[in-house]
Amino acid sequence: MKIAVCIRHVPTREWQPRVDDSGRALREQDASYEMNEPDAYALEEALRLREKHSGEVVVCTAGPSRAAQVLREALARGADRAIHVEDDRLVSISTDSFVVAGALADALRDERFDLLLTGLQSDDQGAAQTGVILAERLGLPHATIVMDVQVGDGALRVKRELEGGWFQWVALPLPALLTIQSGINQLRYATLKGIMAAKKKEIRKVTPASLAAPRLAIVTLDVPRKTKKTEIISGTPGDAATQLVRKLKEDARVLA
Amino acid sequence: MTGDRETLDVDVLIVGGGPAGLSAALRLAQLRAAGKTALNVAVLEKAREPGAHLLSGAVLDPRALAELIPDFESRGAPITCKVSEDRVLFLTRTGKIRFPFTPPPLNNHGHFIISVQQLGKWMSGLAEAEGIDIFPEFAAVELLMEGARVVGVRTGDRGIGKHGDRKPSFEPGVEIRAKVTILADGVRGNVTKTLMRRTSIAADAQPQVFALGIKELWEVPPGRLAAGAVVHTMGYPLDQRTFGGGFVYALSATQLSVGFVVGLDYEDPGFDPHEAFQKFKMHPAIRALLVGGEMIRYGAKALPEGGWHTLPHCSVDGAMVVGDAAGFLNSLRLKGIHLAMKTGMLAAETAFEALQAGDTSVKQLRTFDERMRGSWVGAEMRPVRNVHQSFRYGLFGGLAFSGLSLLTRGAWVRDPIPSEPGHVRMRRRIEGREPDAGDVEPDRMLTFDKVTNVHVSGTRHREDQPSHLLVHTEVCNTICGDEYGHPCVRFCPADVYEIVPGERGETRLQINASNCVHCKTCDIIDPYQVITWVPPEGGGGPRYEGM
Repeated sequence: MKIAVCIRHVPTREWQPRVDDSGRALREQDASYEMNEPDAYALEEALRLREKHSGEVVVCTAGPSRAAQVLREALARGADRAIHVEDDRLVSISTDSFVVAGALADALRDERFDLLLTGLQSDDQGAAQTGVILAERLGLPHATIVMDVQVGDGALRVKRELEGGWFQWVALPLPALLTIQSGINQLRYATLKGIMAAKKKEIRKVTPASLAAPRLAIVTLDVPRKTKKTEIISGTPGDAATQLVRKLKEDARVLA
Repeated sequence: MTGDRETLDVDVLIVGGGPAGLSAALRLAQLRAAGKTALNVAVLEKAREPGAHLLSGAVLDPRALAELIPDFESRGAPITCKVSEDRVLFLTRTGKIRFPFTPPPLNNHGHFIISVQQLGKWMSGLAEAEGIDIFPEFAAVELLMEGARVVGVRTGDRGIGKHGDRKPSFEPGVEIRAKVTILADGVRGNVTKTLMRRTSIAADAQPQVFALGIKELWEVPPGRLAAGAVVHTMGYPLDQRTFGGGFVYALSATQLSVGFVVGLDYEDPGFDPHEAFQKFKMHPAIRALLVGGEMIRYGAKALPEGGWHTLPHCSVDGAMVVGDAAGFLNSLRLKGIHLAMKTGMLAAETAFEALQAGDTSVKQLRTFDERMRGSWVGAEMRPVRNVHQSFRYGLFGGLAFSGLSLLTRGAWVRDPIPSEPGHVRMRRRIEGREPDAGDVEPDRMLTFDKVTNVHVSGTRHREDQPSHLLVHTEVCNTICGDEYGHPCVRFCPADVYEIVPGERGETRLQINASNCVHCKTCDIIDPYQVITWVPPEGGGGPRYEGM
């Protein structure tokens, strides 16, 4: 089975984002980056499928030169080779899913993968669109929020997470694309030998001929302000409870 | 147990990817290329990426860097801001007195204001391009010895649960065996600490004395300080018996590095270094530089202040100790990066010759100590050998000595001036007097509480793992409250330690290990010496981007 995993290099969650002077972009120069967490689960799932069904795992990212870091990390964890769609305009927040998916589709089309995996969504934009658009651009069926993958004869059975604790089993033919939910498996650690072996693996650079125009325009960006207020209700327990219920109903509106 | 462990054999193993370790790696790569020999070199780094655990002021004397990488400027070194002016201020409670001239050791002409994190990241990129294996997220937890010989280290097991249970992701640590191990594990490095305990290398040295540096990175409106300005302060908020001072370095017209250093040999158990830092920022002279700006990052790290007389023998069979791990820092010039780099380079040269000669015993590696003494490292550190120790006579005694020592080249009636480990100077609390912590109410504009600060240090640890702070808590729950009033809650700059009510009305220590910024202060200053810092799972810790 020839499996592709698309991975995004995202700002770390410990980063405190700050809006730049334009008010429409983030100051990315002081961010530090890491592998998008749902993508790490997609990679792990691909490695497990390869262990079971043999084949090849190819990791791919679309981003500026710094994004090669996630490819090296994925190779250290056991991916076989990597493709880097490199363009300085493919930075974290100012390109939308349409641009990224388009660049990935052009780079991956000729490889004719049996299965493509992405994370459910990215930790930065959280649009959950890249995988879906990529499937459409490649003309493949897809399933989202996948919690379990079973490979049969030229087909897949996957378990999707629905809301309210419900799941759905879906069958789809190969080739196909799945977006993987975090927690589907246990991530492995990169080993010393894996890190050393990664140095000998190929990272093929692809320069996109052209990038699609973004379909989304950011009008304004704002960092949420802390509005948390603590209020202490005094009085006898009975009065305080009555007041609390009133506040939960009328102010917080969490009770009907 | 060792049966299922991965092992790795290398020629030279470098423990720690800071300026010392990476300089050793780069020098080895140069020697390997010049000698056309095969030599495999591995660098272990506990941080998520090289540089992420490095914190310094930092003003860099580029001497060692220019020797190691003469064309550093054209190779894109993140070293661009030349020092443009030096100011030394003596702060009183509300006023300041500017020294009429800059004391010669604090003259930074020709030096650079840098981010040591950026320097480390850049150097690791160069080393990797030279074919050095750098392993981030791998912490050395155990020193491997065979008799008196160091044969390598073992890295930590990964995938261990809170109660020591193996999780499905369990990955046993790796034994890395090396012909020569270079210990560059930084200030109070856990591997070097083990080596000092198991051998006599530090037996004839004075005990190391440390300080704690706390630092924030600020973005401020232009016009506060010119790019390249270096400001050092003495005096307020410290009393004369407490060693330390503040600094403000202008990395650019809008970015300031603001910090405070306190000797970890202070006497008052009620003292809180983080609070002293807040008071420093509230002083009118400093507030004026920061007000209206934004604090964007925070960190803390101990530094070895003891100097020449505290250096151990830096070589044993199969290993050498370099950089902060050994104590290479000039406390009069407030600089150590250049010494870390130079000692790393000298250790690399020593290791290379030893491997060529086929003898990596202490007989051969001892030439490191000789090289170091014969180099400008010795020439720089020997004359200031008593400086930190002289501050036991108070601020003015120390200053007077430091001035005089410039004339006598360090000679003194008592040489060495006696010294003891910092923790023994902490006094019992005065009965009835409560610690004065808490008299700064953080406004979250200029001043911050520790938790808010830790939040911007980028610190992260995998939550489900055993505490990496090993504490004999029976001391905490019995005598410490009466004797010292739980100084841990104050000396820790990251709110790791909390005293909370227990189930039966007693108090107990709660350890918030995931807050830890790896500064090592607790391991150093705890008066009972019952706290041991061991590395958490590799990759955990702060992320000092730009620090």
